[in-house]
Amino acid sequence: MSQPKRWVAVVGNPNAGKSTLFNALTGLRQRVANYPGVTVEKRTGTAYTLHGEAVELVDLPGLYSLSPRSPDEEIARKVLRGESPGIPKPDVILCVVDASNLERNLFLVTQVMELGIPVLVALNMVDVAEARGIRLRPEELGQRMGVKFIPTQAHRGKGLVELRAALGQKLADPGERRWVMPPQLATAVGQIAAAWRDARPAELGAEGRALELLAGSGEGPEGAKKLALAWRERFREQAYDWSAAVVQARYTYLQEMLGQAGVGPGHGKMTWTDRIDALVLNPVAGWAALAGILMLLFTSIFSVAAYPMEWIDAGFSALGEWVQGTMPAGLFRDLLVDGVLAGVGGVVIFLPQILILFFFLGLLEDSGYLARAAFLLDRVMHRVGLSGKSFIPLLSSYACAIPGIMATRTVEDPKDRLTTILVAPLMSCSARIPVYTTLIAAAVPAAVMPSWGKAGAMLGLYALGTGTAFALAWLFRKKMLGGGSPPLILELPPYRRPSVRTVALRMWERAVIFIRRAGTVILALSILLWFLCNFPQSAEDPSERLAQSFAGQIGHALEPVLKPLGFDWRIGIGLVASLAAREVFVSTMSIVYHSEGEEEGLIQAMRSAAWPDGSLIYTPLTCLALLVFYVYALQCLSTVAVARRETGGWKWPAFMMAYMAGLAYAGAWLVQTVGRALGG
Amino acid sequence: MQLSLNKPKVLIGMKAIDLTQVGAGKEVRVSRLDCAPGTCQRLREMGFCENALVKKIRGGADLVCWVCGTRVALSARLARQILVEHVDGNS
Repeated sequence: MSQPKRWVAVVGNPNAGKSTLFNALTGLRQRVANYPGVTVEKRTGTAYTLHGEAVELVDLPGLYSLSPRSPDEEIARKVLRGESPGIPKPDVILCVVDASNLERNLFLVTQVMELGIPVLVALNMVDVAEARGIRLRPEELGQRMGVKFIPTQAHRGKGLVELRAALGQKLADPGERRWVMPPQLATAVGQIAAAWRDARPAELGAEGRALELLAGSGEGPEGAKKLALAWRERFREQAYDWSAAVVQARYTYLQEMLGQAGVGPGHGKMTWTDRIDALVLNPVAGWAALAGILMLLFTSIFSVAAYPMEWIDAGFSALGEWVQGTMPAGLFRDLLVDGVLAGVGGVVIFLPQILILFFFLGLLEDSGYLARAAFLLDRVMHRVGLSGKSFIPLLSSYACAIPGIMATRTVEDPKDRLTTILVAPLMSCSARIPVYTTLIAAAVPAAVMPSWGKAGAMLGLYALGTGTAFALAWLFRKKMLGGGSPPLILELPPYRRPSVRTVALRMWERAVIFIRRAGTVILALSILLWFLCNFPQSAEDPSERLAQSFAGQIGHALEPVLKPLGFDWRIGIGLVASLAAREVFVSTMSIVYHSEGEEEGLIQAMRSAAWPDGSLIYTPLTCLALLVFYVYALQCLSTVAVARRETGGWKWPAFMMAYMAGLAYAGAWLVQTVGRALGG
Repeated sequence: MQLSLNKPKVLIGMKAIDLTQVGAGKEVRVSRLDCAPGTCQRLREMGFCENALVKKIRGGADLVCWVCGTRVALSARLARQILVEHVDGNS
């Protein structure tokens, strides 16, 4: 395979259609990873010019400016400067701009043009701009700004041929700065840039470097850095807000340039977006619409997903039976069936729920609604110290904390993001459902408890997790991490028809990530758990063998600690076995009580299980304590692994495990103690 | 500097109010930003520069403005730190 010759960095404002254009140019030839050492997602892909030359595209996070204030912006600056490990300095920068919002989008272009790298501008969403009566003159704009403008409609695939043709051409450096710098600042920048050129004459874009040094970011020659420091100090003494002056000067230039280029501002007529916003941002109708959307999302996750989940379950069961029928009995077969297939199958079964969640999130995000939901919820989230942007990750965590934690990447403030990661596993995920169902049934006989009672109990457990998550978010964000939450500034993009291709690609990407993890981390843990539950092999009887196994020994060792909660050693085995994944508790209990595959049998066995003195173990109070334990305990090693990756170390996942274990133990103990005191 | 949350701000020589005090549908000109430097910079980059024209689309607890060709949602806390003046014939 030949090496891609050139690197193209794709930059643009959020909502400019950057990812849609990236997807249209690269298709399935994409790779998703993280930038080294940080949690910002790195998306690269191969595109081809009209002459068949392979170019490597890197899709940078959506940006409003190159001033590095968030991890996203810092990464973008590093990639554009060629300072990001593993990514060469780009040969071309493709700026994607929203044609219906040129002034704000071109602000970033003026910054990018100062990097000394050839720039190509994709004038995207020209259809939206024209519908708003905006006259676009790409040729005129190109001449005035000194870069090539190509009109595109990424979601319809229009303009891609022209773009691929332009990517194959040799593009010129943007050249001289076009915006007028205030005289006071021009003197400073001129001096710093001159010092830069003296030290590194071969490098282009000295003025851009000078502005970076003045802002205190970026590296450079000593002389230039000293000058920048001296000027910064002088401006501070003079109370001269030079950075405000730069923003003002860029916007003034853009307003004049757009006026001279004959690009009209468009009409200010009421659009569909305004009409829909009137409804979805209304204090009453907006909340009703949000509740309706959430209800639809949850119904789909828990009911529509049930069918493919059954198929996956049946598929794994059939595969297990086939292996059992084909292979000779022995340890290796047991490992394959009870370890590998049961463990991996138990996790892969949740793939439909995760795909449905990402399908909905993709539709909501692509349509522009998600920003409205975050806006609507900002006030509620603000009460616990978070912003509306934390809502989506917490919502996702009802399906699974893993995509929930991954979705925190959209939260800009690092403390808000960390708090959201720390409380996300408290939102009851789908893996808790089998545990909740089994324990509710064990606590109260089906004949006594009507179905609405079960639903109410289930809802109560969800409410307990959610309420605790909000209370702890308040504690962590306001009391532990400190500092105020940044005020909400959020662009509300116009509503658009979601791109099926973009949503499908995102689902595909998530499915690949999920299955890859199931095939690695989960597989390894399943094998380890199987070993712990089956060795040493001292008895023939499976229940006896489990009791004497390493897991059983751990259960016995844990019994003194668990007894105050009303749990015996067998529950201890369940807790240990379900450390990797909560739902394993049910299958472990099935093995412990000899009732493989029969839910009714398991519940009966649990209801009659007794302590040596004959008293029942699974009293309603113990079941409630165990339920509370499972609401709070972080029984999911995959979540820990994702939290480690997203927080860049073990410190916060360790804290998360410790506080959740403490909470689970204290909660269960409190239920048992108060319940006993009340005569339960 | 953090301004007190409920008092209207008055600049010498001109009548400046904060953005929360502007009626929905009115167009105003930004006269001053009174927030933390990082927040000020973000606001300016999103179009809330001094002298920029801003149209308030929705009022209420949090508000929505039309600036630089896009709708931008702001928390009331932030809107109180954006000082504006009515443009001629619009008060």
